[in-house]
Amino acid sequence: MPRLRVDKTLKMLVGGKFVRSESGRTMPVDSTSPHGAKRKVNAPFASRKDVRDAVKSARSAQPGWAGATAYNRGQILYRLAEMLDDRVETLGVPAEDAVAAVDRAIHHAGWSDKVTAILSTINPVAATYVNYSKIRPLGLVVAAPDATDGLLGMVEALCASAVMGNATVLLVPVKLAEVAVALSEALATSDLPGGVVNVLIGDQDELLQHAAAHDDVDGIYLAGAAGAKVKATLDTESARVMRRLLQVGGATAPATPYELGKLAEVQTVWMSAYEPRGGAAAY
Amino acid sequence: MNQAADPQRELALRDALLLSKSIESMPVTIKPRYGHFVGGRFLDGRDESLFGTFDPANGKELAKIAAADAGEVDKAVKSARAAYEKVWSKMPAAERGKYLYRIARRIQERSRELAIVETRDNGKPIRETRDVDVPLAAAHFFYYAGWADKLQYAVPGRQVRPLGVCGQIIPWNFPLLMAAWKLAPALATGNTCVLKPAETTPLTAMLLAEILQECELPPGVVNIVNGAGATGAALVNHDQLDKIAFTGSTGVGRIIMKSVAGSRKKTTMELGGKGANVVFADAALDQAVEGTINGIFFNQGHVCCAGSRLLVEESVAGDFLERLKRRVLTLRIGDPLDKNTDVGAINSAEQLATVTKYIRIGAEEGAEVWQGAACAAPTTGNFVLPTILTGVQQTDTVVREEIFGPVLSVLTFRTPAEAIAKANDTEYGLACGVWTEKTSKLFEVGHALNAGVIWANGYNLFDPASPFGGIRHSGFGREGGVAGLWPYLEVV
Repeated sequence: MPRLRVDKTLKMLVGGKFVRSESGRTMPVDSTSPHGAKRKVNAPFASRKDVRDAVKSARSAQPGWAGATAYNRGQILYRLAEMLDDRVETLGVPAEDAVAAVDRAIHHAGWSDKVTAILSTINPVAATYVNYSKIRPLGLVVAAPDATDGLLGMVEALCASAVMGNATVLLVPVKLAEVAVALSEALATSDLPGGVVNVLIGDQDELLQHAAAHDDVDGIYLAGAAGAKVKATLDTESARVMRRLLQVGGATAPATPYELGKLAEVQTVWMSAYEPRGGAAAY
Repeated sequence: MNQAADPQRELALRDALLLSKSIESMPVTIKPRYGHFVGGRFLDGRDESLFGTFDPANGKELAKIAAADAGEVDKAVKSARAAYEKVWSKMPAAERGKYLYRIARRIQERSRELAIVETRDNGKPIRETRDVDVPLAAAHFFYYAGWADKLQYAVPGRQVRPLGVCGQIIPWNFPLLMAAWKLAPALATGNTCVLKPAETTPLTAMLLAEILQECELPPGVVNIVNGAGATGAALVNHDQLDKIAFTGSTGVGRIIMKSVAGSRKKTTMELGGKGANVVFADAALDQAVEGTINGIFFNQGHVCCAGSRLLVEESVAGDFLERLKRRVLTLRIGDPLDKNTDVGAINSAEQLATVTKYIRIGAEEGAEVWQGAACAAPTTGNFVLPTILTGVQQTDTVVREEIFGPVLSVLTFRTPAEAIAKANDTEYGLACGVWTEKTSKLFEVGHALNAGVIWANGYNLFDPASPFGGIRHSGFGREGGVAGLWPYLEVV
């Protein structure tokens, strides 16, 4: 008699822990796992409260992540690539897609200590100040990669967001549940502090609307078709709290520095360079 | 409320300086009526739409202004579209830049006239329009003129193109300067514009239109429509615009964001603020006093990035407040056209009512209200004495909401961590100031403040090369510098 297969319960990654939806909701979907072909699995189906929990975890993790050195963040994202590479055969996607995701993570890991140099400026002002504009993280980004981009879309979104110092809540459509779980397991072993990347599985459009109406979300990353049909609602909800919908790009090509810049804010500092002369500028 | 009488006052400036009206001794012409500027021509507008624009220092009507309806806005947008497609997007970039250089020079040449008209229409002191608003407006055109033929360097590794036609809505606090902030980067990047000035301050925009005519800017590249909220709504809702750039209140910003929801229009929002000005015990206190004054009483506090929350370290709070009040008692309030005036008139009766309301709310919630100046405020016109509120809490209305007037709330702190926490405890994030002579503290605290602009040992400094703009409820997008080009470019 063949050995009985051990089925894994699919869970979402929130605050560094694997959780079911607080609502208890699940959705049966066709398994995409190489070990479980032609069977149904019960994917967790996130609720509004799950979005709130994930946002809360992300918010508390963000300052620590942004405060880590760029070198450290780069190494952690590189380790994510290592963890993904270990799992190339079990991620549930064709091998070429899996290695593309690994290489994408490595690409973005390298930006951590370089992108600031490209997007920052020293501004020659007509005053006795050294004026510089630097980038700082947007803060908390909810990312909805395009479902058709699969694993690469998820990795692109979370790496682009994370390398800029943001905490991320990744919204994954339920049909990609098993891939999302495999990715979550790589994330959980990659030295990324808990809460820096959270993975929710459910109806992307529904979760996007919850995220857009949440008062503590700084930006919403949309790629490709994700959110297209709810864009008007998203815009309207976002307007209440003045947040941005960020159309950063997709999986086709890695986000360029300019696109990564959309996941950050330009902060301008007027640093007194001489004896302070009070507020009046030398106009 | 009590009019302060400080026995230690050292400078008895009351009535010490005679009026010196040299700058306005040559009068400037303000026409009795202005309409719109569309397709390079001045249009009278509709008679039935006329409203007045007033001198806030004396309440006298300066001119009649026509308000544009949806049809007139449509003409302006079509004119901008035609100019974009036929002329402006096809013109060699260097030539486009030369027009902007020309505009900068003409603004400089007619600066006296612009300063006077601005001061009369807005109520701000001539010293400010002469030394800040007008020179900075010219500087913005000059700065962005040079970008026109260098846009391939604006976005690393990517090609760019203009967006098309931009609708731009600007506020009344820096009428000409805001027009320059909006027009200069938009034109440099190859866009054409429809600009709507604020209904209470339309005059310098009309003067600017004359300047554009003198510069022979191709017709339709810049169109100006006058009017209030309805005109703005017609502009925002026009379906042929590619971009809405708005500077104004967070409330109106939200309305605009909702009305463009789901459309292809890109937006830039430069909204309200509740700036913290953090003064440490080891700051150069006299300079910090100057910076605090400049932060909140510059332009009667009608500054979105105003330092309306003073956070001063507890150990020097008493001393600092005393120095601050003594300095406020040297500020001259009155005729904005007098070049010795420090504090001018509140732009409108409506805003006067808002400021007065907030001072009343502050008092009701337990604040101690102190008001002072070197002289009594004029009895006619819209004037509010520089006001300092002490004994306030983080939760007080006057500490949380933008007042947009010469009203300073004073809070104290004990540690840098407390200062950072209090400064960041706001839904806004436009600008903050920090004062200390200790460099490490300056960097640590400065970089920890949640705002788009940080002034380290300074306040209310502006420069065309320096990106300006907010985070959170203060909006998004930058004006000034390289970052100021991005909102007007599409990356291809």
